[in-house]
Amino acid sequence: MVQFAQVQHYPPSVLAERAQYFPVPGAHLYTVLHEVEVPVARVLLIGSFASERHTSYRPWLQWARYLAARRIEVLRFDYRGVGESTGVFMEMTFDCWVDDVERLSAWLRKREGEAPLLVHGLEMGGLLAAKAFHNGEADALLLWSAPVNANKVLRSTLQRWMAPQQLRKREEDRRPPSHYFRLLDAGRSVEVDGYEWSAELWRQSLSFELPATMIPPNDPADAYRRPVRIVQLGKSAAPLVLGGLLQGFEEGKDFSWLFAPNYEWITSRLGIRLETV
Amino acid sequence: MISDKIEARQLITLGADGVLVRGTYHEVPGKTQDGSNAQGKNIGVVFLNPLSTPRTLIGDSAVFWASSFAAHGYPSLRIDLPGLGDSYGEAAKDLVTFINEAGFAAIAASKIREFTKTFGLSGVVIYGHCAGGVTAVYAASECRECKGLIITDPYFNAANMLTPKLSPGMVDWARRSRVGEVIRAIYGRIREARKKQDNGALPGNANVRVVTHWKKIASSGLPILVFKSGEPRALGSAKLRAGSFDYLEHITSFAGPRSRLSITMIEGASHSFADRVGRAAIREQAQAWLNENFPRPTAQTPVLTNLEFSKPVTDADIATMSPAQVPPGPVAHKTYGGNDTAAARGLH
Repeated sequence: MVQFAQVQHYPPSVLAERAQYFPVPGAHLYTVLHEVEVPVARVLLIGSFASERHTSYRPWLQWARYLAARRIEVLRFDYRGVGESTGVFMEMTFDCWVDDVERLSAWLRKREGEAPLLVHGLEMGGLLAAKAFHNGEADALLLWSAPVNANKVLRSTLQRWMAPQQLRKREEDRRPPSHYFRLLDAGRSVEVDGYEWSAELWRQSLSFELPATMIPPNDPADAYRRPVRIVQLGKSAAPLVLGGLLQGFEEGKDFSWLFAPNYEWITSRLGIRLETV
Repeated sequence: MISDKIEARQLITLGADGVLVRGTYHEVPGKTQDGSNAQGKNIGVVFLNPLSTPRTLIGDSAVFWASSFAAHGYPSLRIDLPGLGDSYGEAAKDLVTFINEAGFAAIAASKIREFTKTFGLSGVVIYGHCAGGVTAVYAASECRECKGLIITDPYFNAANMLTPKLSPGMVDWARRSRVGEVIRAIYGRIREARKKQDNGALPGNANVRVVTHWKKIASSGLPILVFKSGEPRALGSAKLRAGSFDYLEHITSFAGPRSRLSITMIEGASHSFADRVGRAAIREQAQAWLNENFPRPTAQTPVLTNLEFSKPVTDADIATMSPAQVPPGPVAHKTYGGNDTAAARGLH
């Protein structure tokens, strides 16, 4: 059995992790900088939506540590109003989260020591990353399981949340997902997984989409003339993406099959010589 | 300005014993740096991870409760145990068994001691949800600094004993699917009922070690508050409850008159208690329990106030409220211990 109550020897990259609050209008973002001395590149990690945060959290952090151990500086954060960040979720819109990404990418760019910046989005975070990249805020883009639009994520999140809730309700109180969609369409808020979705969030999600240049058959790398990689992850990537989580049994899962090729893509496309890493 | 501290929150790392554990500290407004004041020291609240869920817990409910407790005079700390959340380390391959066998007990106890000393507290109440409750019970046995427990939806079973008999594909399906979830719940209850014997022996799938620790801490007179979420109605909860083994009653029957175990059932709350009903009920009930068992050393003005409702609250009302406005759902209390132990044992 693992014994934790002994002095551990931590890798230098772990000791260089700095958790801090980053001020944004009306709130503070929880950020963790995986600081690297003389980085060969920088990556802004934009994670999955609120309800999926807790399941994807650990492999997402492992990816950050994987990169930091290879001299790629990483900044990860919680969306405004989510997780350790402050702010009231019900008041949040996609505009707020786009603003978060813009501010953080600008901050990363200003850090000492010039290095190319890549934005990497997971699931809903993919839409935010794509938007930032589209607006010219990064040198490269990596997307894992980005949806075509945000409404698709909200719909599937609500449907997934509903199933166990129905078991707890009297038969006469049970409602189909369409009932909640109608409430949101009608301007009412709905609570899902402990998060209060506002009608405005729902309304914005309908038009918050992946740029058309990133949707096949278009070739985004050709359109932007900057490196772009779009990967759809299967259930084998759970709990990083949806597909079921055997909580209590999958925490030690090895993601090197996913991390290694993506890291190689980053180094090759950003012109990083591996001998410098 | 970028900082590790804002308003009443601070990002901290506990590492006095050589093991780095990340956490978020919610301080009491107006307190001095060391957590004490002229009249005495505060009791703190420490939140532990349930399985691999980060220290915010589902729906960021722990942030809500920790902020609320701190605003009412109980400084709170949410930590990520090693291998979980932001802390370093490898999670155990079989995390459930690791936790069931007290894998986190020593480090949790060590961090509680460090927290208590660093912030000048007189002790802590450990908050554990589900698997976090298992760790909380073990840790409570190991540290004098633990003055109370708040446990939500505790379980007392060992890891699934059926698993080795089924094919991996069947196990996978049963764990992932909703139908499988229902079947597992029913099977578990039937198994418990069959194993229950007239002499009060534990069911065959009981985690005897954790039950023993429950008995130990309950008999010591440690104040313990247990919240249980409502049973799924689709499973016919009344029949299932009747057939299930009442571990808490079993524990209390061994604990004796010193036991101070309170149980609150929150109907309508989900297992995570992150929904409006669950989070509001826990905030109100736990707050009242803290005030009763650990009166604050000074009269501190709460930042958050409890709302009072003069009329029954309907679903339509709840739909328009923010989580902070929602009153607790229907609750059923039973209190074991003190002078009322014998009577309480008869409750179900």
